[in-house]
Amino acid sequence: MDRPAALITGLGFITPIGNDRAAVTTSLRAGRHGLARVELAGNPGLPVKVAASVRDFTVDSPNYREWSWPAPYDIPRETLRGLAPHGVYAFCAIEQALADAGLAPADLTGGDTGLFCASAGSAMLLHHHLAEMHACRFERGHPMGVVSSIAGTLNFNLAAHYKITGAVCGFASACASASHALGWALDEIRLGRQQRMLVVGAEELNAETLLPFASMRALSLNPDPATASRPFDRNRDGFVGSGGAVVLVLESAGLAAQRGARAYCELAGWGQAADGHSVATSHPEGAGLREAMRRSFADTGVTPGDIDCVNAHATSTPVGDRAEALALRTVFTDAGAHPYISATKGLTGHPLSMSGAMEAAFCALALSDGFIPGNPHLATPDPACDGLNLPRGTLDRAPQTALNNSSGFGGSSVCHVLRRWRD
Amino acid sequence: MSTPPLARAHDPLARFPAAVRDAFARFRAGDPAALGLVLSAIVRDFMPRREAVPADPLPDTARLIEDLGFDSLAIAEIVFFMEDLFQVKISNEEILQLRTVGELHAFVLRKLAAAPSA
Repeated sequence: MDRPAALITGLGFITPIGNDRAAVTTSLRAGRHGLARVELAGNPGLPVKVAASVRDFTVDSPNYREWSWPAPYDIPRETLRGLAPHGVYAFCAIEQALADAGLAPADLTGGDTGLFCASAGSAMLLHHHLAEMHACRFERGHPMGVVSSIAGTLNFNLAAHYKITGAVCGFASACASASHALGWALDEIRLGRQQRMLVVGAEELNAETLLPFASMRALSLNPDPATASRPFDRNRDGFVGSGGAVVLVLESAGLAAQRGARAYCELAGWGQAADGHSVATSHPEGAGLREAMRRSFADTGVTPGDIDCVNAHATSTPVGDRAEALALRTVFTDAGAHPYISATKGLTGHPLSMSGAMEAAFCALALSDGFIPGNPHLATPDPACDGLNLPRGTLDRAPQTALNNSSGFGGSSVCHVLRRWRD
Repeated sequence: MSTPPLARAHDPLARFPAAVRDAFARFRAGDPAALGLVLSAIVRDFMPRREAVPADPLPDTARLIEDLGFDSLAIAEIVFFMEDLFQVKISNEEILQLRTVGELHAFVLRKLAAAPSA
């Protein structure tokens, strides 16, 4: 079957390393991280001391009347009333992405545009609303409590705001969620069901979202923002929490050409597989991720040797990074291929469901701007990384083809292949 | 009513202008004429769409849905808010009777008059 190519034609960023494309590109090129000391839940006794917060937003309160966001973004009350804090990030990122793609609101309403979103919902709002209901023995509750807090809040709200009548769906595979959203979005276009897909990944960074991961011993307790997130380093001790929103506009090449859209790159293929191993721990050799990489190559029609760079999932956890390193060695090193491997969570921390969208967008920037992000926090590579090509600094080298890896709980792994596009 | 539906952890009017908070205090102190200003501010605050530009002050005849752009969610929200503010319980049947600003005003006065602890 002849499958239409799908191009990334718009990007929007609200991230700890920048709140627009230019700032994010500058941070990636300079290896500038977005991590800082934080006091979560107002408790100085907590052992988690570092996180990667979004700047210029105040969305800590469960009451939207107390929120603020950068002035250029105009969120009408009809939309604001149903948003979670990360929905505010997503709104701003989608506005950016639409402007970046040269799209007007009327372009989204015809049924040929769909919306796939990924977030875990708002644990903070869910807790707030349920606590209110508990206090009155469930006799009453806030009418917006459900749509603002459950997983799916992004797609409910954004579809209504933008009057999107195409495919609208949310994805829940933890840290692979946004990568699933992007992969399935590609299939929507390939199958001719949609001509354009908006893909949104967002998460909020607060005690309610992040600290349950401390109970799993998954978070870094390193108090130094410069080294707390150091994927693939022998001394890594867990991930650093992060939040924000990233939006990608994906369009069929035909539609993009018809309207003269500029393309960052092609989303050329994807693959997914799972470990079938543990609810929360990676397979020791990264079996699911290894298979997902191979499936993404088969889907795209490339070989390991065609991949110039990899944006690794690498969250800086001892077990997860080791599993990914071994999977990368099996897929690439054993095949005689040596792509550059970037673990950008060293700069951004780990924004959970949003990761796959953020890092696919980073790949799009690398392909369009001609650079490969480095691993500036990597001091002593884990021996498990032997043979992997882990540049410390950013490379001024234009990749042709990039791989984006994501893995989530239950061993779900998703890989995207992105490549330069020339009209 | 003897048991408020929810103990308040915060002032529901905290983000409203001082004049609105003052009017609410006067109303609670026994000045029923101050209620109009409070309700007008609340109704404006919960209007979901900015396309509807209401007169100031809101006329009693202004209809919540047809004139002010309220939808069922916004009505549910304003009812939830008023339950908090006035410490009363409002039923679905009562909500369905409220079509205009004037009816809302009269309803609040009637409701509070019927609530001994209010």
